[in-house]
Amino acid sequence: MLIPRTRTVGLAALSALLASGLAACGASSSTTASSGAPKNIVIGTLYSGSGSFANSSLPEFQGLKFWIKEENAAGGVYVKAFNKKIPIKLVALNDQSSTTTATTLYEQLVTQDNINIFVPDFGSVLTLPAVTIAEEHHMLLFDQTATGAPLFTPGNKYIVLCDLPLSVIWPDPLAHFILAKHIARVAIIYGANDFDATQAATVKSVLAQGGITPVYYQAVPTTTTSYGTLLHDIAATNPQAVIELGYASNDIPFLQAVHQGGYHFGMVMTAFPGQQFSLIEGAVGKAGLSYTYTYGVPPYIKFNTVSEGLGTNAFISKFGGGNIANVSFENVAGYNTGLIIQAALAHATKFTQLSMRAALFGLSGHFTTLDGAFQLNSEGGQVGELLPLAQMLPTSSGNAIKIVYPPASADHSAVYPAP
Amino acid sequence: MLWLFALIAGILFGLYYALAALGLNLIFGVMRMVNLAHGDVIMLGGFAAVLLFDRLGINPLITVLLVIPPSLLVGFVAYYLLGTRVQRSRDPEMMSLVMFFGVSQVVEALAVIGFGNNEASITSAVFGSKPFSIAGQGVPGAWLVSAGVGLAALILLFVYLYHTGLGRATRAIMSNADEARAVGVNPDRISAITFGIGVGLAAIAGIFSLFMIGGTTPSEGVGLTVTAFAVIVIGGLGSPMGTFLGGIVFGLALMFTQTYAPVWSGFAPFAILLVIMLVRPTGLMGRSVRSV
Repeated sequence: MLIPRTRTVGLAALSALLASGLAACGASSSTTASSGAPKNIVIGTLYSGSGSFANSSLPEFQGLKFWIKEENAAGGVYVKAFNKKIPIKLVALNDQSSTTTATTLYEQLVTQDNINIFVPDFGSVLTLPAVTIAEEHHMLLFDQTATGAPLFTPGNKYIVLCDLPLSVIWPDPLAHFILAKHIARVAIIYGANDFDATQAATVKSVLAQGGITPVYYQAVPTTTTSYGTLLHDIAATNPQAVIELGYASNDIPFLQAVHQGGYHFGMVMTAFPGQQFSLIEGAVGKAGLSYTYTYGVPPYIKFNTVSEGLGTNAFISKFGGGNIANVSFENVAGYNTGLIIQAALAHATKFTQLSMRAALFGLSGHFTTLDGAFQLNSEGGQVGELLPLAQMLPTSSGNAIKIVYPPASADHSAVYPAP
Repeated sequence: MLWLFALIAGILFGLYYALAALGLNLIFGVMRMVNLAHGDVIMLGGFAAVLLFDRLGINPLITVLLVIPPSLLVGFVAYYLLGTRVQRSRDPEMMSLVMFFGVSQVVEALAVIGFGNNEASITSAVFGSKPFSIAGQGVPGAWLVSAGVGLAALILLFVYLYHTGLGRATRAIMSNADEARAVGVNPDRISAITFGIGVGLAAIAGIFSLFMIGGTTPSEGVGLTVTAFAVIVIGGLGSPMGTFLGGIVFGLALMFTQTYAPVWSGFAPFAILLVIMLVRPTGLMGRSVRSV
C-alpha cells in the first residue's frame, strides 16, 4: 500500500511528537498536575511469575517492590526537577519467562501505560527485547541484571546497567586465582549463550596471558541438564580445575553429576550458588556443594557504608528479618535498582530520560550502595561492582560462603586442592 | 574409552527416556489421544518424590510404589471427565491436543502455586555416593536404578499386554475399537484403565527425572512432553516396544553427541527424528495408525 508523501510527513511528525512526549518522562495527562509535576512517578516493569526465570525474577521483583514501599512510606521519591517528593506507582506485568510475551508487554508499557521509568525483567534473555524498544522510544532502560556485552553499544544512550558488572569482567578474579594457584590443567564448560560465552572467553583470555591453554573448552546448549557423560569426558583430560559457566538450572545438574559420578577435582567452580545459595544447596545437598567455588555477591559481600539507601546489615535486618538466609542476591538487586532510580531522580535537573542518564553518569564513581561501587563505562555498562571469588566451606551447620580472592577482599583462605 | 562410556550412558539414559515416553505412547495407541499434559505428570511425580523424601525421609524407590495407586485413580477419573469427551468429538486427535494443552497450563499454574518456582531435587547420594563399574566404566548408581526401573516397567507392560485378559482387550482396542466392542470389550473401561497406567508410568518417570536431568520445576512439563513425543515418533506411534527402541536411539544420539560434539547435543536427537520421519514415516517399529 502506498502512503501519500504528505501523510508520511504527517506520520513522521506525529511519531516525533510521541517520541518527544515519551522522552519527557512520559508525563501523561492522567498523571500530570497543573504545576507540571506528575501525580505519580510511574515505574513500568515485567516479572516472570512462572517459567524458567521465575526463581530469579520474582525475588528481584520483591526487592524492587520493597524499595517502592519504603519510598512511598516516606512520602514518595524525591524528584529534583520539581523539588518535591512524588509517590511511586508500579505497573508490573507477568511475561511468564517468555521473550515473545515480554516483547509485547514491553511495547505495552512504553506505548500505552504512560510509564516514566522503564525497568526490564531479570537477565539478558528477557532484557534483550527491551533494549531495542527503549532505544526506539527514547526511554532510559534501568537494566537490572542483563550483563551480556552485546546489549551495550556505543550508539545507544538509553541503557544503564544497575546491579551487576558486565559479564565479560565477572570471571577476572576467578582467572587470576587460577594463575595465582599455579593451576595448569583447567577444563571449562559453558552454556552456548552470550552471558556464559563472554565469561568463558574472558577466563580463556586471562589464562592465555599466563601461558595456560584449557585442556577442555566446550560450549553446550543452555538447556543441558545431564552432565554425566560430559563430566566423564572432562575427567579424561585430567584437569585440576573444572569451571562450569551456566545458569542455576545448569549448575544444579552439573553439581549433582559431579557428586553422583564420584568425581574429585582440586577445584570445581559454578556461577550461581553465590546468588541462589539456599536453592542450590537444597537441591544438591551440603556435601555436593562443599569446597566448590562461585562468584561472591551481596549480601555475602557486605557494604555497610553506603551513600544511598540501606547498607547490607540494615537491609538484612529490615527485608530478611535479620536472617541472611532470607535474603538472596536478587532481592538486593531489585532493591538496588530502586536506589539507582532514586539517585537518577534526585540528581537530574530536568525530568527527562537523558537528564536522568546524565545524572547517573555524573554520579558514576562517586556512589556506593549495598551492591557496591556504582561506576559506568561510556556505554552504560556497570564496571564498578567486581565479583570476588567465593568458596563454600563446610561448618557444623552447613556450608558457609567465604570470599577467598582477591586477597584485598578475602575473609578466608581458599582450601585448594579440595580435600 | 570415551565411546564405551557414551554407549553405556546412552543405553541407560535410553531406558529412562523410554520410561518417560511409555505412558504417552500407550495412551495414544489405545485412544488416539495426544496427552500434552504428559510432561506435567512427570513433573508432578518429581515433586511427589521430593516432598516425600524431604518431609518423611522416604526413599524414591518406595515412592515408586506409593505413586502408583493415586496415579491410577487420577488417570481413571481424568479419562471419564475429559477423555470420554475427546473420544466423542469428530476429531479426537485434534481435540485431545487442545484439551490437554489446557490441562497442561492448569497443572503448571497449580504447581507454581503449590510448590513455588524453584528447582527441587534430591541429593543423588540416596542411591550411593560411589559409582558402579560396568565394563570398566564408572556409572552413577542413580542411572542404574533409573534404567532398571525403566526396563522393569517395560517388561511388566509387555506381560500385561500379552499375558492378561485386560491386556488382550487393550490390544484389541488398539487394533480396532469397533470390532473390540462387537466382541464384548468395553472400550471406555479399558481406556480408563489404560489412561491410569499411562499416568502412573509418567509419575514414576518423574521420580527418576530428579537424578537423570537434575531436578524438577513446574515449567519443565512442556519440554518433557516434547522429548517423550520425539521418542515415540522415532520408535513408532502406538507401539510400546517401539518406545523402547526410540528411547535407546534418543539416548545414544544424545550421549554420543555430548561426547564428540557437545554444542550440537540439543540438536542431534531431533535431527535423527527428522531423518527417521523421512526414511520411515511410521517410526522404527510403528504401524500406520492414522487414516487420511
